[in-house]
Amino acid sequence: MTQRAIDLIVTELQKMKVSAKAESDTRGYVEVPKDRIVEVAKKLKELGFDHVKAVTGIDFPEQEKIQLIYHVSSYSENLYNIIFEIKSFTSYKDCVMPSLITVWESSWTGERETHEMLGVYFEGHPDMRRLFLPEDFDGVYPLRKEFKIKLEGLFVDKSE
Amino acid sequence: MDVEVVPVTGELNVGPQHPGSGHMRILVKLSGDIVDDVELDVGYVHRAVEKLGENRNYMHLIPLVERPAILDSVHMNMGYVMAVEKIINVDVPERALYLRSFAAEVNRIASHFYGIGILGIFLGHSTSFMWGFGDREIWVHILEALTGARVTNSYVIPGGVRRDISPSIIEMTKKAISYTRRKLNDWKKIFFNNPTIRARLENVGVMTKDQAIAWGAVGPNLRASGVYFDVRKAEPYAAYSKLDFDIPVYKEGDGYARSMVRLEEIEQSMRILEQIIKDIPQGPILSERFLKQIPPTRMKKWVEGQGRIVLPGYYASFRPPKGEATSRVEAGRGELMYYVMSDGSAKPYRLRMITPSYRLIYVFKNLCKGVRYADVVSIYGSLDYFPPEADR
Amino acid sequence: MDFISILRFYFFYPSFFDIIIFPGLILFAVILLTAIWFERKAAARVQMRVGPYYASKRSGGFLQLVADALKFVFSEMIIPDQVNPTLFVLAPALLLMISILPFAVVPVSIIPKSGSIFSPYFHDFYDPNIGMGVLSGFFTQYNLVLVLALEAIYPIFIIFMGWVTNNRFAILGSVRETMLSVSYDVLIFMATVSLALEFHTLDIAQIVQRGIPGILANPFAALVFFIGMLIGSSRFPFDIVEAETELVVGPATEYSGFLFVITMAPAYIGNFIYSFIFVDLFLGGWLPFTGLPGAAYTALKAVIVLFFSVFMRSVYGRYRLDQALRGSWKYLFPLSLFALIFGMVVGFLWIA
Repeated sequence: MTQRAIDLIVTELQKMKVSAKAESDTRGYVEVPKDRIVEVAKKLKELGFDHVKAVTGIDFPEQEKIQLIYHVSSYSENLYNIIFEIKSFTSYKDCVMPSLITVWESSWTGERETHEMLGVYFEGHPDMRRLFLPEDFDGVYPLRKEFKIKLEGLFVDKSE
Repeated sequence: MDVEVVPVTGELNVGPQHPGSGHMRILVKLSGDIVDDVELDVGYVHRAVEKLGENRNYMHLIPLVERPAILDSVHMNMGYVMAVEKIINVDVPERALYLRSFAAEVNRIASHFYGIGILGIFLGHSTSFMWGFGDREIWVHILEALTGARVTNSYVIPGGVRRDISPSIIEMTKKAISYTRRKLNDWKKIFFNNPTIRARLENVGVMTKDQAIAWGAVGPNLRASGVYFDVRKAEPYAAYSKLDFDIPVYKEGDGYARSMVRLEEIEQSMRILEQIIKDIPQGPILSERFLKQIPPTRMKKWVEGQGRIVLPGYYASFRPPKGEATSRVEAGRGELMYYVMSDGSAKPYRLRMITPSYRLIYVFKNLCKGVRYADVVSIYGSLDYFPPEADR
Repeated sequence: MDFISILRFYFFYPSFFDIIIFPGLILFAVILLTAIWFERKAAARVQMRVGPYYASKRSGGFLQLVADALKFVFSEMIIPDQVNPTLFVLAPALLLMISILPFAVVPVSIIPKSGSIFSPYFHDFYDPNIGMGVLSGFFTQYNLVLVLALEAIYPIFIIFMGWVTNNRFAILGSVRETMLSVSYDVLIFMATVSLALEFHTLDIAQIVQRGIPGILANPFAALVFFIGMLIGSSRFPFDIVEAETELVVGPATEYSGFLFVITMAPAYIGNFIYSFIFVDLFLGGWLPFTGLPGAAYTALKAVIVLFFSVFMRSVYGRYRLDQALRGSWKYLFPLSLFALIFGMVVGFLWIA
């Protein structure tokens, strides 16, 4: 059985002493502490991943942490079916991440959006301003779980 | 003789109330007629899909996720459903896969006609605008006959599709294909070989291969820059692994190449549709697991009688197991990615929706640097950037 | 002389009849509506639509334009805060006035010594070059130069309008008009000068009376003139000043209501007057008719030229400013020089 492309990447990453894992033929992830994320990202770029598809932030209010997932992929034909995730955590208290824009330019939009929606500051991003939200938006970061949206309830008029 | 050149710089506030801005504001920093920099003030049609996604059941999200791009709703819908299917681990029957491809390709043609039409009106070519919308209408009618709605079809549901195809729809599609084939020749005459259109698109907004990769361009815009990438080939979904089609790739990377890619994709989509009509297998259109939940009387009346699925009770508020899934489809404008994270409750813990136009924001911003002011709209149109889709 | 004949004399006095009645202002108003109606209807035909329809179905929606005009007249005229209101209101009115001015010197027909309704004015409008009277608002032997001079004022008022409205899109549109006017004026000037050299005269009536349509005598000049006309009246594919998706409506951005109608009219009127000049110079003018039928024949041809130039909308997109400038200076200007030399040679050999 020939070795899958994703296994090669995982073994390469495991040499760096980070926990990488292949979930299937086309999906895999690596978990890194945030101070090593740039290093891992550079390694992944060397391995052929040339763009960031998405920067996703997930709020975990019980642990007071925000998880960041970079979905990385490639346009080259041997890697283009793989989406690799770089997962990292940052805490509420120190909500700063090193920006990966020096490695992948295409993380520009995603990092800006994650900044305004979850309040993570990306250090090194050249344009860390609001993107979608109005300029006078005030209050809790919208994608944190403590931001509650008012949902319309079901109202049944029983008087008649 | 010394000529003193007085630098003329200023900002131009294009939009949101402007015929050439769409639902956004483009702050153009001009130096004479040359654009120094643009700042895209997006977010005027932000619908908070990701936040609402955390407050809705999985099934209730299907109509929501297709709202951002109503003219491309089958893809928006399918990407989300594929992610959910991965979490709840459902196999989709063969016929449903073919029907998904069918709806998706019809929608792709409609979406591309829309894009070319908008590009035409941006360049002042009103005929292509009207033709684009007129020719799109034929395909929208097919979608209407198939799904019951012109746009926002909610056609794809977990485990299958909602309605079966009928012989009259197949007949409609055959007519539409022969009409569009004929019409594309006229399109080439009046639009693609029109000297004014060529002058406005050729060598305008050139994106090299390296730039396209670095900026993360997607879809026809990426392929116009010489990158062979299409999710339908990279990670075949629906029935695409069994269908034979080509991916048009151009090397020039300018606006003209981008619109030519769209034109050729329309032709390829029609090829795919012909194959689907020929090869579509018989069988159920919903997974067996859900089909057996439908009560027998309704099964007989609706599913067997009219080829329409009545939603089984499982859909009401199912709780998928814990897990996460990433799915991607090739939407009309490019690669669409969903990341769904489930924590075991009836609502997703996190829904991430990365639309093609979202990824074009950065491309658009970069391409506009250093061009002439009149080219901003030309680049805008040739990228087929659709603000509601980007804002989500 | 009784009262009726005095009234008749003044009614048919060419300076009044030609300018106001036919083919002057009243025809212009009708043609303006018809041209816009035709523009919409022809474009609709090309674009698989019906076009204007519901206002007067029998005439194919012709009254739609009247309805539109009425709607505009009764809608509010918004005058922005930061402008000088007097100049703001004056600018479109001045523009309209200036746009119609060149028509005063364009000859539309000739007056024979007897037999025509205009014959009483034979001596007042006598043209020694052709030995006939000329039907025009104001006769001078150098009307070719005068008409060009009057047309050349027109862009200044567009720029004035853009400046007065104090809007960035308007100013950008004005700047575009400034750049374009230099180039298209040169084209039109060169084309007419080559005709003047070819026919050895500066009198339009004499050029027509030679009996040789300019389009045969000098087709290059005709091409250059026609393109110059398209640029000058911002028709497609040179709709650069009013480029909708770039500059909203260019210099007319801030105008609303009736003032907007007034800003829209001059481009059509300018185009119509250019069409008259084009017909006179290149399409044989009123020949073989004289008097009133001659004027009608000229006007008919001018309307056809006008319709042809508005029809361009459904075929072409819009060039960029620099492309239009490059096109006119790099390709059309040398062509106009060639037309000049061609005109001199042909004029020397053939039309001596």
